[in-house]
Amino acid sequence: MGPQAPPGSYPPPSAPFGQGPVLLPPNVGWRPPPVRRARPEDDVTRGEFRSHWSIVPAQVVAVTLAFAALIGPILTTFGFAWVAMMTVAVVFGSLAHALPSWWYGTFGLREDHLVVHSGLAMRSSREIPLSRLQAVDVVRPLLMQVFGMAELRIELAGGDHSAIRLRCLRRSLAERLRTAVLAHAAGLPGRSPEAPEWPFYRLPFPLLLGALTFRVPILLSFVALLMLLTAGIVFVEPGVAAALIPLVLGLLRYYWGPLARYTDYYASLSSDGLRLRYGMFQRRMQTVPPGRVQAVRVVEPLLWRALGVARVEANVAGYAGERQGESATLLPVAPRRLAFTLVNELFPDSDAARVPLVPNRERGGSLVGVDEHLFVSTRGAFCRITEIVPVERVQTLRITAGPLERLTGRVSVDVDTPPGPVRAHAALREASEGRGLLDALVAHGRRARVPEAGTERWATRSTQAGPSDRAPDASGTGESPGSHL
Amino acid sequence: MSPSLAWYRRLVLGVPSLIAGAGGGTLLFLWGHPVLATAVVVAALAVAVVGGVLAGRFQRTWGYAEAPEELYLTYGVLVRQLLVVPYGRMQVVDVTADLLEQALGIATVRVRTAASTADTRVVGLGLTEAVELRDRLASRSESFSTGL
Repeated sequence: MGPQAPPGSYPPPSAPFGQGPVLLPPNVGWRPPPVRRARPEDDVTRGEFRSHWSIVPAQVVAVTLAFAALIGPILTTFGFAWVAMMTVAVVFGSLAHALPSWWYGTFGLREDHLVVHSGLAMRSSREIPLSRLQAVDVVRPLLMQVFGMAELRIELAGGDHSAIRLRCLRRSLAERLRTAVLAHAAGLPGRSPEAPEWPFYRLPFPLLLGALTFRVPILLSFVALLMLLTAGIVFVEPGVAAALIPLVLGLLRYYWGPLARYTDYYASLSSDGLRLRYGMFQRRMQTVPPGRVQAVRVVEPLLWRALGVARVEANVAGYAGERQGESATLLPVAPRRLAFTLVNELFPDSDAARVPLVPNRERGGSLVGVDEHLFVSTRGAFCRITEIVPVERVQTLRITAGPLERLTGRVSVDVDTPPGPVRAHAALREASEGRGLLDALVAHGRRARVPEAGTERWATRSTQAGPSDRAPDASGTGESPGSHL
Repeated sequence: MSPSLAWYRRLVLGVPSLIAGAGGGTLLFLWGHPVLATAVVVAALAVAVVGGVLAGRFQRTWGYAEAPEELYLTYGVLVRQLLVVPYGRMQVVDVTADLLEQALGIATVRVRTAASTADTRVVGLGLTEAVELRDRLASRSESFSTGL
């Protein structure tokens, strides 16, 4: 190919003289070969982008519909002409807002920073160092899927409001942008191709359906639902609806919700970290780069233990607030062995199953242990929860003793991580034991934090560290998925 | 910790309770409920006295120690706590002093980590001591920095 001048810098007629058979005069009807016009999306590392134009009519339609639904019934009393006039006014008003804010809401990559301009009356421009990102998601709700659009979310550590949401992008642009953003975060040039990935786990739909159904609360509410329905039909009693509605809402939330969300679930591992694709009505593609998972818990409800399956949830600093519920689950249903394999992948050179656990003498079932890499605590007689925190990710450690605990000589040890579903702690241990646990965590944390110098730009860092450092990592990620398929 | 911390807590708790007791007592007395008025005044006095005693104990339970790589903190009268914060995990270190603290010449050093659950403060330090501690912590958090 050779070095190519950027398109547009040379006038097109001069191009055929430099190359090809120049001896023949060009035909009369000669035209330059149909060069595909270089679309700006082809190279996302330069230039400025904005959302697809269809966001403007979409916003106008949404505002108008909301207006018609809310205010329309009141306005009909004034007559049809008034309604029509007000609707036209609303259409133009929302257009006057949506159009400029779409035009001025641009974003683009500048070196390894993402610059996002937004706002109309109050202009704001954010510059995000991509090496600090926590996770990158491409989300496609149903309506966006129909129109081939996608939303790109870049999660930062600042909590609920710090995420960058680039709405209504053409799907190819969103995917390219995601690749470029991840490449920059890894410390590679932005045009480098997407990192290769190895399949890790594909969740079969029957297993998802079965596991979601096979849980005590779900089964009980199904039984209650059937009983209420039969009672309502037999005695022709409409009053059962009062009990039915909350039950149905609960089932929708805890049964239908996960079922629709995790349909067609596929997890893969790449050098960019864990990559998850799932969803039926809302397609999502999550990428959690290495070292971004702060803590993990493996949840095994009572009946799932009979099936030998578990759920894996994680604390990622970006998934805070409302997005915690929908993004924090890494494996919705997976064989227990695979769940622990994933934990070992997330925290390399450590094995969560090999941490020596100490049982609590009086309260049966709760175990806690710490080794030089991980803090592990297991609790719960019915729903067993195993919480795993790598010692180098511990933010603060706490020993707490309330008035009652002081009487019995017990303490609780809390291991604090960034907010998420995992709240690792060891409750009601003996005082000396708790203190020993704390000292061990402090000592191991000291040792673990020294070599681990941040998690930014993971790709170039591992090459700088030399092949000896890289080899076990590469073989570890390469071999383990194969051994489970 | 400086004994001013105990006075700070006493003032924060005692003054409002005394004002509430005096005001409520006077109002009730004027409305013709002398028994209730006495009860309110006694209750307010009791709150102030118990709070004052507890504030003294609270001040004595506070302590902090700077280990080579982490900060140890301990406090609490009813719920005893021991907190360990590695220097490398500190995100923000700031010194705050409200009006009353300024009058008493003390300040609070607040340490923030990425975990929002722990309340990591060092209260009741003298102002110069607080500033020195902040500078030490800030420089150490930089030298031990390991990202998030």
